[in-house]
Amino acid sequence: MILIRGAPSAGRAGRRRDATIVRSTGNLTATLVFIIVLLVVLDRLGAVSIPFMVQWWPFLVTPAATALGATTIAFVVGFVIAVPLGLVRAYGPDVVRRKAPASVVVAPLYGLTTGYVEAIRGTPAFVQILLISAAATRAFTGLPNVELWAGVLALTVNTIGYQAEVFRAGFQSVGQGQVDAAKSIGMRPTQIFVYITLPQSLRIILLPLTNEWIGLFKASALLWYVAVRELMWAGNYLGYTQVHPIEAFFLVAFFYLLIIIPLSRGVSYLERKKRIPGLGVPEPTRPRRAGPRPAASPAAPGP
Amino acid sequence: MIAAKGVHKWFGTLHVLKGVDLTVEKGDVLVIVGPSGSGKSTLLRCLNLLVIPDEGDILIDGVKVNDPKVRPEWVRQQVGMVFQSFNLFTHLTALENVVIGLRKVKRMPRADAERIALRELERVGLADKAEAYPAQLSGGQQQRVAIARALALNPKAVLFDEPTSALDPESIREVLGVMMKLADEGMTMVVVTHEMGFAKTVADEVLFMADGQILERGTPGELFAHPRTDRARAFVSQVLG
Repeated sequence: MILIRGAPSAGRAGRRRDATIVRSTGNLTATLVFIIVLLVVLDRLGAVSIPFMVQWWPFLVTPAATALGATTIAFVVGFVIAVPLGLVRAYGPDVVRRKAPASVVVAPLYGLTTGYVEAIRGTPAFVQILLISAAATRAFTGLPNVELWAGVLALTVNTIGYQAEVFRAGFQSVGQGQVDAAKSIGMRPTQIFVYITLPQSLRIILLPLTNEWIGLFKASALLWYVAVRELMWAGNYLGYTQVHPIEAFFLVAFFYLLIIIPLSRGVSYLERKKRIPGLGVPEPTRPRRAGPRPAASPAAPGP
Repeated sequence: MIAAKGVHKWFGTLHVLKGVDLTVEKGDVLVIVGPSGSGKSTLLRCLNLLVIPDEGDILIDGVKVNDPKVRPEWVRQQVGMVFQSFNLFTHLTALENVVIGLRKVKRMPRADAERIALRELERVGLADKAEAYPAQLSGGQQQRVAIARALALNPKAVLFDEPTSALDPESIREVLGVMMKLADEGMTMVVVTHEMGFAKTVADEVLFMADGQILERGTPGELFAHPRTDRARAFVSQVLG
C-alpha cells in the first residue's frame, strides 16, 4: 500500500463488522432455539425421544463426512470442467459469427456443450444418478468403493451442467468495454480472461455458485438409493433398525443444517470482503440504536 | 508515424468506411469531426486494430501492421486508447488500473510498475486518488485515470474516442486541460471529438468525415472558417452555432 488509510474509517468499518457478526449469530441462535423448543415440546408430548438422539448422533458423523466429501469432490472437479464449458457457451456464438479460424472446433463444441447442459437441466438428478451409477458400477465392478465413486461421478456430471450455465452468465455480464480497454493496453486474450473477466465475474457468480453447492449437497441424499453410505442412508438405517425414524430424520436434518449454515455464513463474509467499494447497491446497514439523536431531526421511520 | 491507406470496413452489409486515407506525423494532433454514424470511431479503432480493416493498410512508422505476421497486441502497446465511457477496470483501484499493463504486458516488477503508475497519476493530477476504485471517482477523474493508464505504457501515440462526450462541463474542462498539456508536451494524438474549442486551439489538422469518407481536411482555421462542401458547411454552422 502506498497510501495510509485513515484511522477513523478503519474504526467505523470494525464496528460495522461487529454488528454484522452479532446480527448473524442472533439469527442462528433464533433458529437453534426454535428447533430445541420444538424438540422439547415434542419430547414432553412423547412424540420424540431426546435421549435417543443424544445417544445416537455420533452414528451420523462418518456418513456426514462421506456426503460432504462426495459433494466437495464433485463440485471442485465440476468447477474445473465447467469453466471452459462456460467459456464455450458465452463466446462460442461470437467466434462462429466472426468466422474466425477457430470456428471449425468451436461450432461443434458449442453444439455439444449446449446439448449437454440442456440434457442435465432437463432431467431429474435422481434419474441421472440411477443411470450413471448403474452404468459405472457395471463398468468398474470389483474396484474398492465402486458405489461411492460412481455416486461422485453422477454428482459431478450433474453439477457440470449447472455450473457451466452459471459461468456463462457470469462471463457475459462483463461488459465489452472492459475487454476493449484490456485489449487497448496490449493484453493477450488469456490475460484478459485471467485478470479482467474472471475476477469480475467470480464476484457476481459467488452467490449462484454457493446455491449450486448447497443444492448439490442436498442432492447427495439421493446417493442413498445407489448404496452410498451417506447421511440419508445412515438416518434411514438408524431410524428403522432402532425403530425411532422421527428422531433419526431430525438428526439427519440437523446435520445438513450444521454444514450448510456455516458455509453460507462464510460465503457472506467473503462477499463483503471482496466487495468493490462504491459499486452496486450500498451494503444494508442498521440505524444505530445507541447514542442520543439530535432533537431537531425527525425520527427515522422504522424498517 | 501513423497512417491509414484506402481503409474499407463492412459490418455485415453496412459499408462503414469507404476508402479512408490519413497520416499523422510525430508530435501532431489530428482531430476528426463529423456527424454521428459517419465512421469516426470505427476509423479510430482501426488504427489500433480493435477493428480489423477489410481492405487497406494501417501503417506505423511505415510498417504495415494489419498483417497476420504482426501481433495486434504489439500494435496496441505502441498506440494507447482512451474511450468515451472510460472503461476503467471496475475491480481494480486507480493505481492498479495503471499498474496492470506495466506488470502483465511489459512484465515489469511490481515496485517499478507502481512507481511509474504513481508518476502517471501525478501527471493527470490524481496521485491522491491512487487507492480509490473507479466507482468512487467522478467521471472526469475516471477519464484522467484512463489517460494515465494509456500513457503508462509509453505509447508512440494516443487515440481519444470522444473522451469528453459522457462528462459534465466541469469534468470536460479537467479532461481537456490534461489533453492540452499532453499536446504541449509533444504527444502524438488522434482525437475524435465534438469539442470545437479544443480542435481550434490544439489541432494541427482537422478531418471532416461523413458517410464513411473523409470529405474535407485542413487546418482548423481553414476548415472551420471556409468549409468547401455543403455537408461540412452544415455541420460547422450547427456545432459552432
